[in-house]
Amino acid sequence: MATTTAAVTLSSDLLSDNMSVNASTTCMKAGTTADGLDQMEYGYVDIATGDQFDLIGATPTAGKASKLYLKNHSTDETYYIRIMIDAQDIGRLYGGDWMFIPADFHDGNADVEITAIGGTNKICYALFHEGITLVAS
Amino acid sequence: MATTTATITLSSTDLLSDELALSTTSTLTTAGTSTGVTQTSGLSRKTVTYGTSAAIVHSALYRAGDYTADKASKVYIKNVSTTAAEFFTIKVGDETLGRLYAGDWAFFPWAAASGTKETFAVTIAGSWAAGDTWEFDGITTTAANTTVADIAAQVSAQVYPNWTTTVSGAVVTFVARYAASDGVITGDTAITGDTLTSSSGTAAISGGTAGAGASSQSDISILPSVHTGMTYETMLIHE
Repeated sequence: MATTTAAVTLSSDLLSDNMSVNASTTCMKAGTTADGLDQMEYGYVDIATGDQFDLIGATPTAGKASKLYLKNHSTDETYYIRIMIDAQDIGRLYGGDWMFIPADFHDGNADVEITAIGGTNKICYALFHEGITLVAS
Repeated sequence: MATTTATITLSSTDLLSDELALSTTSTLTTAGTSTGVTQTSGLSRKTVTYGTSAAIVHSALYRAGDYTADKASKVYIKNVSTTAAEFFTIKVGDETLGRLYAGDWAFFPWAAASGTKETFAVTIAGSWAAGDTWEFDGITTTAANTTVADIAAQVSAQVYPNWTTTVSGAVVTFVARYAASDGVITGDTAITGDTLTSSSGTAAISGGTAGAGASSQSDISILPSVHTGMTYETMLIHE
């Protein structure tokens, strides 16, 4: 099986004492401990301001343990991308920010949608999953 | 200025034919600036348990109405469970974000788009007597004297489970603590659940509009997959 590890470190001095949070997980298929996610797609795209796209064109299997990494590589701090899932506003990813979420893809409308604001945003993404349904040509 | 950083490392030696090694650090700043974020909920940890016959329901982690919308807020959630099949379903508003299986964590931006809080006003008027009462939201106010402004101040000074208040003269304005469309406001001059006990005093309702409330669109909630105790850790970093 493939072994993919995702680790996060959050550190800050905004409290009266230093804060450090560390977590690491091995990305497994849903409900297993011995079978790691073994498929991924990876991309880097420029998105012009105002344009809205489905970031994931195919449909990963629903109800699994898919993981989505997304980073806004824009260097202008006023640029951001709006993240939406099935028209639900999730949040804004400003230049330099990243996110890592479980992605459910529970139906055909549950695509991860992104809209670029402020200028052309440079987006890097990686989807780790258990299988996808390719879009018929 | 506070400096808060978030670092992610994604690594695998056998997922691809070549090694995957991705690491990036973000300094968390307020929306559209290079100024560091200054507020956080701090890290919290909670175990949720349900009785075997109880319905498992979503628990709100963060209510959008408590935070400023459309900023650069970030949410961290980790499923501390070690049982592989146990997962938390993470929702933003009504939309399922995904499942956090045992040991999994998530870190994502949050729009915190709130709904609309219901509001109405109560005007204390007429001839009140000491001992007259007005009840709302399970809280009873007993008039200490006959002065309407004093009684309004008493009404406003109460702590209501679901409402906040301000007072101006004999008028008390109520605002719901959370955005919802639960229909407490039934018209411009009516609400549900209020009880006046007075021979000739009045507590007239005004300023309410039926249907004015609207549920928040982006509260963050979690749903455990099993009744037995599941533990999560979470932190919100916000403006």
